[in-house]
Amino acid sequence: MSKSFVRSIKNVANGYSSAQKIVRKATSNDPSGPTTYDMEEIASYTYQSQTDFLEVMDMLDRRLNDKGKNWRHVAKSLTVLDYLVRYGSEKCVLWSKDNLYIVKTLREFIHFDEMNNDQGAIIRVKAKELVSLLQDDERLNMERSAAQRSQGNHS
Amino acid sequence: MSRAEVDLQNSVKKACNNDEVPPKRKHVRACIVYTWDHKNSRAFWNAVKIQPLQSDEVQLFKALIMIHKVLQEGHPNTLKDAYRNRDFLSSLSSVFPSHGTAYGRLINQYDRFILQKLDFHRNNPGFNGIFEYEEYISLRAVNDPNEGFESIFQLMDLQDSINDLQKLIFATINQTPNNLCKVSALVPLISESYGIYKFCTSMLRAMYQQLGDDEALKMLFERFDSQHFVLRDFYTDCHAIKFLTSLITIPRLSNNPPNLQVTDEGTPIS
Repeated sequence: MSKSFVRSIKNVANGYSSAQKIVRKATSNDPSGPTTYDMEEIASYTYQSQTDFLEVMDMLDRRLNDKGKNWRHVAKSLTVLDYLVRYGSEKCVLWSKDNLYIVKTLREFIHFDEMNNDQGAIIRVKAKELVSLLQDDERLNMERSAAQRSQGNHS
Repeated sequence: MSRAEVDLQNSVKKACNNDEVPPKRKHVRACIVYTWDHKNSRAFWNAVKIQPLQSDEVQLFKALIMIHKVLQEGHPNTLKDAYRNRDFLSSLSSVFPSHGTAYGRLINQYDRFILQKLDFHRNNPGFNGIFEYEEYISLRAVNDPNEGFESIFQLMDLQDSINDLQKLIFATINQTPNNLCKVSALVPLISESYGIYKFCTSMLRAMYQQLGDDEALKMLFERFDSQHFVLRDFYTDCHAIKFLTSLITIPRLSNNPPNLQVTDEGTPIS
C-alpha cells in the first residue's frame, strides 16, 4: 500500500481542510517535491481568509517540530516557509518573525539515518539561510518586491 | 502538572542521562522551544532540580551544557529565572572534587563560567543570551563612556573565562570514542565567544570615535588584540574536529586583529 494512499486516508480520518491537505502533501516523506505548483497553491491560501492562513501556518509549525526520523518533513517545511516568506502574504513574514526561535533552533538539527549519514546537514543549511533572510529587512523587502514583479510577468 | 510540563520533564531527563555522548539536540531544543512558548522557564528549572545530578559526573556535565544552551537560545526571561536559581547553580560546582577526574574539573570550571555569565547579564540587561550582533540595541549608543568601560571590561573578563574553559576542554580530550561529549561543550562556547568578539570590535570602534586617543582606551585595545590571537587559535583548533565543522559554522579570524580606528563600515576616523 503506497504512502500517499495512507495519507489520503489520514486526511479524511482527521478531517483536514483543503489547505491543510496541500501542506501535508507538499511536506510529506516522499523523496521528491515540494513542487513549485504546490508551493504556489499554498501561497495563494495565505492571501485568503484568516482561517486558511492559520491552518497553513499551524500545519507547518507541526511539521517543523517533527522528530528526526521525519527529517524530510522538517526540510520540506523549511523550503515551503522560505517560499511563503518571499511569495506569500505579509502575514507569513510576521508569523515567521514572531516564531523565529522555531527556525533558529533548527540550525543545529542532527539526524543520522540507518546508513549513518547525517541527514540534518540540509536542514541546518536551510535554517541558517532562512534566519539570515528574516533578520535582514532590507534584503527581505527586495526579495519580496522582486517576487511580486516576477509573478506579474507570468499572469 | 500540565501535559507540556510532563513532556518538558521527559526532555530534561533525556538530555542529561548518564550516557557519555553529547546531549541530544532534539531534547535540548524541546526545552528551548518550551521557554518561548510559555515565555518563562520556571518549569524548566523545576525539572532540572529534580534530576539526580549528584549521582553521576557525566550527567551533571551534560546538564550544564543543556543549561548553557537554554540560557543562550531560550526566551529572554530565562536569564532572569536563572538568576533566581543562582544558589542552586552555584551548589553544583562543588558536587564533585575539582582536583579529581577530568569531569570534576570541567564541571567546576563550567559552572563558575555560567555564574559569571549570569552576573554579567544581570548587570547588562541589554544583551541577549548569545550576544547576537544583529539584535543588540543599547550599547552602541552609549553616551556615558564610564558605563561603556564597565561593560567592556566585564565582556573581556567573560571572554577570558571562555578561553580558560576551552583550553581545559582541549586538555582533557583524548582519543577515545567518548570524547564527543566533551567536544559538544565547545559548541555554545564558539558562538558565545564570537558574539562577544563582534561586540567588542564594534564597541571599541564607537568608543574610539568618541574619545580619540585615550590612555585608558589604549589598554583596552591591547587586551583586545591579545584576545584576538587566542580566539583565532581556538577556532583553528576547532576546525580540526569534524564533529564541529559539520554541525556549525566556525568563524575564521584573520591573522591580524582588525583595525579599531575605523568605523564598522571601514571609513577612517579623522
